[in-house]
Amino acid sequence: MHHRPTPLRVRNSVVSIVFFALLLLVPQGSFAQTNKSPVESQVRDNAQLFRLERIPVAGGAELITIHARLDGIENSKTPNWVPLVTILRDTLGDQNIENDRLRYVWPLTYTRPTRRQRILGAVPFLYMRVGNKQNASSQAPPPVLDLAATKRDVWNKLFWTALQSVLIDSYSAPLKASSRSYQHNISAYRKSHIIRALSVLSLYDAVEGSQVFSSSELSEIQARLQLTDKTFGGLVGDLNLDRFKDKTITQALDDRGHNWELLRQRAEAESLVFEPLQMPDGSNTHALLWVAKPDLLVNHGRRYDSRFLNIASPWSDKRLLAWNGYTETRYFDADNRTVPADTPGARATEMIPLALYGLDNPKIPMVLVDFRDGLNPKRREMSRRALQDVTRNILSFSTFGDLPYFLGRTVFDLVTGRRGIDVNQPSRLHTYSQLKLLLSLNQSLDPELREQIGNRLEKVSLNPMENDLESEARLARQQYEALLNYAKQPEGLPAKLDRDRRAEMMPLEHSRKEQVIFRTANILSFGTYTHREKATPDMPEKLDLARRLGYHSRFLREVAKSSGQVDVAWSLADIKRSLQFISEHGAGADSTTAKAAAAIFLRTDDSDTRRFCLDSLARMTNPKARIELLRLSQLKDLDQTTKGLIISYLNTSPPAPVPIASSGQKPITGRVDQ
Amino acid sequence: MIFRFCRNKGRFVYLNSYKQRARRFSISLGLLALLFALPTLSFAQAKRIVTVQCDGLPYDVVDRFVKERDPRTGKSQLPWIDYLFYQHGTHLANFYVRGMSLSAPSWSLLDTGQHLQIKGNVEFDRYTLQTYDYLNFIPFYVNTTIGARIDMPGAEVLDSIGVPLLTDAFPHNERFATLSLFQRGPRFVSYPNALQNKFKQTPKDLFDEWATGFEIASSVPEQMVHEVIEGIGNSRLRYVQLVTTDFDHRAHHNNDRKSQLFALKQLDAIFGRIWTAIRKSPLAEETALIIVSDHGINSDERVYSQGYNLVKLLGSEAGGAHHVITKRRLMMDYAIKGLYPFSQTITTPSKNSSYLQNESADYPTALLDFDGNERASLHLRDSDLNLLQILLQQLQRVDLTPAVRKATEDQFFAALERRRAGWQSDLDQLKQELGALRRVIERQRELCAAQPKEFTKQETEAGRDDEAKRVCTQLTRWLGQERNYGEYARIMTNLLGIQRSGFNAAKLKIGEVILPHAMGQRNSIYQLQNYIAGINPAGLTLAGDGKLDMNKSLVHVDYFSLLHGQAVRNNVQKQVSNRPVDMLAARVPAELLRSLVHEPDLDPDAIWVYGGTDSQALILARQDAGGRLSFRYLPIRNLTQDQDGQLRFEPASWRSGFPLKIFEDEQLAIPHEDRESWLSQWHTDLEWLHALHKTIYSNGLIGLHEELAFHPAGRLLDREPAGGDETLMRRLVRRLRENIEADLLIVANDHWNFDVRGFNPGGNHGSFFRVSTHSTFMLAGGRNTSIPQAMVVEEPYDSLSFVPTVLALTGNLRDDSNPIPVLWEKGFRRFPGRVVREVFANPEIQKIAVTGATESP
Repeated sequence: MHHRPTPLRVRNSVVSIVFFALLLLVPQGSFAQTNKSPVESQVRDNAQLFRLERIPVAGGAELITIHARLDGIENSKTPNWVPLVTILRDTLGDQNIENDRLRYVWPLTYTRPTRRQRILGAVPFLYMRVGNKQNASSQAPPPVLDLAATKRDVWNKLFWTALQSVLIDSYSAPLKASSRSYQHNISAYRKSHIIRALSVLSLYDAVEGSQVFSSSELSEIQARLQLTDKTFGGLVGDLNLDRFKDKTITQALDDRGHNWELLRQRAEAESLVFEPLQMPDGSNTHALLWVAKPDLLVNHGRRYDSRFLNIASPWSDKRLLAWNGYTETRYFDADNRTVPADTPGARATEMIPLALYGLDNPKIPMVLVDFRDGLNPKRREMSRRALQDVTRNILSFSTFGDLPYFLGRTVFDLVTGRRGIDVNQPSRLHTYSQLKLLLSLNQSLDPELREQIGNRLEKVSLNPMENDLESEARLARQQYEALLNYAKQPEGLPAKLDRDRRAEMMPLEHSRKEQVIFRTANILSFGTYTHREKATPDMPEKLDLARRLGYHSRFLREVAKSSGQVDVAWSLADIKRSLQFISEHGAGADSTTAKAAAAIFLRTDDSDTRRFCLDSLARMTNPKARIELLRLSQLKDLDQTTKGLIISYLNTSPPAPVPIASSGQKPITGRVDQ
Repeated sequence: MIFRFCRNKGRFVYLNSYKQRARRFSISLGLLALLFALPTLSFAQAKRIVTVQCDGLPYDVVDRFVKERDPRTGKSQLPWIDYLFYQHGTHLANFYVRGMSLSAPSWSLLDTGQHLQIKGNVEFDRYTLQTYDYLNFIPFYVNTTIGARIDMPGAEVLDSIGVPLLTDAFPHNERFATLSLFQRGPRFVSYPNALQNKFKQTPKDLFDEWATGFEIASSVPEQMVHEVIEGIGNSRLRYVQLVTTDFDHRAHHNNDRKSQLFALKQLDAIFGRIWTAIRKSPLAEETALIIVSDHGINSDERVYSQGYNLVKLLGSEAGGAHHVITKRRLMMDYAIKGLYPFSQTITTPSKNSSYLQNESADYPTALLDFDGNERASLHLRDSDLNLLQILLQQLQRVDLTPAVRKATEDQFFAALERRRAGWQSDLDQLKQELGALRRVIERQRELCAAQPKEFTKQETEAGRDDEAKRVCTQLTRWLGQERNYGEYARIMTNLLGIQRSGFNAAKLKIGEVILPHAMGQRNSIYQLQNYIAGINPAGLTLAGDGKLDMNKSLVHVDYFSLLHGQAVRNNVQKQVSNRPVDMLAARVPAELLRSLVHEPDLDPDAIWVYGGTDSQALILARQDAGGRLSFRYLPIRNLTQDQDGQLRFEPASWRSGFPLKIFEDEQLAIPHEDRESWLSQWHTDLEWLHALHKTIYSNGLIGLHEELAFHPAGRLLDREPAGGDETLMRRLVRRLRENIEADLLIVANDHWNFDVRGFNPGGNHGSFFRVSTHSTFMLAGGRNTSIPQAMVVEEPYDSLSFVPTVLALTGNLRDDSNPIPVLWEKGFRRFPGRVVREVFANPEIQKIAVTGATESP
């Protein structure tokens, strides 16, 4: 039966085509890249596993790259160094850390998906990899995050969500399903590489310690990357980053230890053998379960509880009795400890691997590789996604619009979540991504076993945009080379840096209203329009001042936020240095800095520091600073000298505003009598 | 006319004698002179105490981080603890838990200063299965809402014994305490305020918290801090107490440095806030700030603590196929039922039971408390009750041959007669106690009815409303005891009423003679070594003499060798042994040992510690006239008990490998060449503490005795009244405490735990390892408290020292360790622990010789 095209259908088709065109055309990053040329580098060999490379970028910046020795991927006699993460630090060309700004993070394994991968990524219910990207383009690789503009990420996300819900979802179900599928895949792909970048950074930190990044820089990078997982994460303030990072790490390590122990106990209860797998820093992120071959006969037909293990019973599996897959002979002493083969009294036992689990999940260890049933982990991984896709994209159920669905889903989520049933659980993307890294870094695994795990692992992936381990290593090298070339070209990274700095100047030159307009324009144009100031000779100086002001202001706010007398927990010399900077250059400091200076005044007995507080408050043009001074002058328990000092500050006209930042508010200039 | 209130007579009396008046006048003059002569006595004291009770704060961890520099600030990682207690205060480098390193018992010692009365976080009454859950706040809050309770269970138990808490030393309106295990009166207002205050952050902070995930759980602890800071601003308050459990919670889950430091930094910031509030308060110079902790924690960054499932073992065939009761739900976070917080007990049935299949609801046979997790207390049903039930079940079968029936009946009555005298005597006493209880209940009912229903603001502030509620909640508790024990007495009467003549098993209802939901009396060592766990699958078997072959007919378990012999297959951490159980310990009546050890004047309780057939020890105790405890550690082998109660063992020479591993410990403060001789002698608890405290098991020897022996305290120590109901009620109180005594204390090996509620890979406590018992006690104060600055006390002290030291600081303790008369009236009695003398800048001046008296008031 043929249907005549209705106007509605025509419109849907047009929208679909435009949408797909948009998907394929929207750039992943805004970089252009042409030539390849060698870049002089300052390479420092840190240790066997990691190597750090710092490459200067014209215009005052540097690329910092962590290379890892991925001997797990290729068996060769020479170390297999692969660049994994690069971060751009804009230094303004000097050694002063106060005006440094961290910018882009490139997980070098993260690449623009091929056209085929993108198209297949938009096919609903295609929960599988579709092959690898063979070669990276000569363009600069896409960064996953601009650390200096995290808010942009939030607004983009919200804009796309709104676009999807308001416009695209109202058209045909296929368009809705495919657009959502595409969005999900592209977002999951980015997320998996952010996870990898985080793992590399924390491994590097644990193994090498903070050598190039200061602890606060590393902390900021990690927190900002972790926050990409939260819808409004990009809006979280700097002062709360540490707390969020600490909380996240604590929870992650809690989950890991918990799952390690849960799996060990379950293995013990079922007479299986538990073997934790370690990352180079000693963290147990994954574990293998084995069965001893002699036990297969001894325990044949034995009762088996698959809860939390989520694999079939080995005691009734005839395939294991005639197992011709991978086996390993292990040696155990009288206390069941694994020992070398030549240990006196050691008993040899042939072992069969059953499954590999990821431990970094909330609640339960998740099976990533089932050596007897390759699709077992995939089915579990698919369950939540499929349920989501069917109910939302096909049946168009809305959580808050359909009460029966809401109730049913709540009960289902509660039961599966509470009881730790490995169906409808959060994605195992995290451990999947980590396992790839572990397989690359871990040299203790038998190559054959590693290969078998690697092959099986790729089947777990639901994302057509993912590449396999070897392709990722190859792409990382190619992308790194492209990035270096991009950094070398004057019209490449240096030009980009210049554009970014000019964009950074925007808040310094425009009122709040204008800033809002420019940002809205940026979002509505899908990021293609960004307002930038014209380059002027004094731009570097202004930027330097603004960044240093930001640095000191943040430090003072952090001090003010801590508890009790500031002298106890902080170095007064540091506090005074920041206050001095504010008093000398911080006329345009904002109200939060004024509040911080006043709070510090109240929480120190050091007269010098107090004087610096007052001095900095007096120099600020922000009305809040005057209010704070007034408030301080009215304190009852203040000695007369200090009171007199405050009043003299109040009676002195504040300096003329420096055009470094605009508050949009007028200063208070009333006289105060003592 | 001069009147004076006479405490003894309970009324005002007229002082008509000139001599009397003259004497009082001269005493008054003398006291006045003393006050002028020794001004420091009255002024160099803390007028206010602020304590922060930190659950599971290990001294070593705090010390390490205090000494570590934060690269960002150049200051200590814990700047406030460093500033307050290291630079401007005093900290004890060797402060230990006395007893188990477990919260409820340990806090009970710290909060009372008296020997241990509460033996676990959870206790079970063997006769009634009533549970004492000292940690569960939810039922407490629900019960207080409906008026059924006013104090936490821990405070109720201590009240029943007559042991007051430190907070009781301060008048109701002069003290403020946040949520704690021994809380008196709920603080409902904290919860809505917590929520309100959560939203009082700056909008930016609120947004950031929302964006990263609201931390609702932290709002209540934050509110507690807020309330304490408010309390400090109130100059009327003389005692302010904050309890924080965050570090303990974190360390159970995370063994990593970062997480633990994060938790400690948050705690450190709280000290900053509290100290700032103190400095702003009018009593700043007279305020002492104290941190104290109930235990350390066995947490090691390189090792995950491994759990071992004792419930599963006990339910297995080899473990006796018990239906096991716990107070905590197994895998609680994975059970839908785990969401329900009011479960009285959780029963895990065994599929292997040979005689109680599907009877787990009526006949659980094991009770397990594993809290703290490095130890577990195990109650097993009286083995003879198992035997009687098995035999009765068999006798009710119709297919027994006459020979087997006769042999079974013979055996049934043999077992019954063997226990009859003991059970009957106990039952008679219980019935007397119940009689007294019923009479007391009637009086209490009237008292309760007479309580006022409305109170003025002043009365509420003075705590009169709480006192009135206490009268009625006491009635409720007594009614419950009367009901439960009455039922026990009824069924036991039925059992003891069974006589051979006219015996017809078929007519008996087992539930009417074998009490459901009861463990009966505690098992003897013999019973635990030959525990009757079930009937053999082949059924009853006759021996050649026509009697039952007990070995072939019944399943026996030796719990000492079974538990100690457990080993696991997965042994993946080199620091962790494959054997989860380190040692087992049980109380042994000293009367059974007197003839064997040839020691006069032994205390009634000795402790047997089992570390394998060849590695056992007896800890003997005695007290001198002043009540000072002494111990002797006797290494032995092969201790057994026969059915008649006779103990046998082989004395052993000192060598390495005995329980507590004292002899071989490098840290034992006794030269190697003198060890054998020194260790073979009696020493006071202080001498043992000096010698042992740095060893791996630290003060474990003292701790085992503290935990397992009975220590009469409070009203049980007061002069016995002439008789009547008070005597019987005291006996009932003693019975209630004795009935919670477990058969066995199971102590885990290093880095093992028995938690089955969930997983605690970060670390655990509960054992006697130094890492778990080494705790925190630090003090700082304003100028007038005279607490020394920058002082480290190296002398070892234990939990018993805390209360007397605090009371001494506030001038409430006499130099003979007796409380001042006001506190004596409140029920405080002589404190057995030593005051930390080093805390007093000038001990000679400030030894709080309020009266100089050496006798109690």
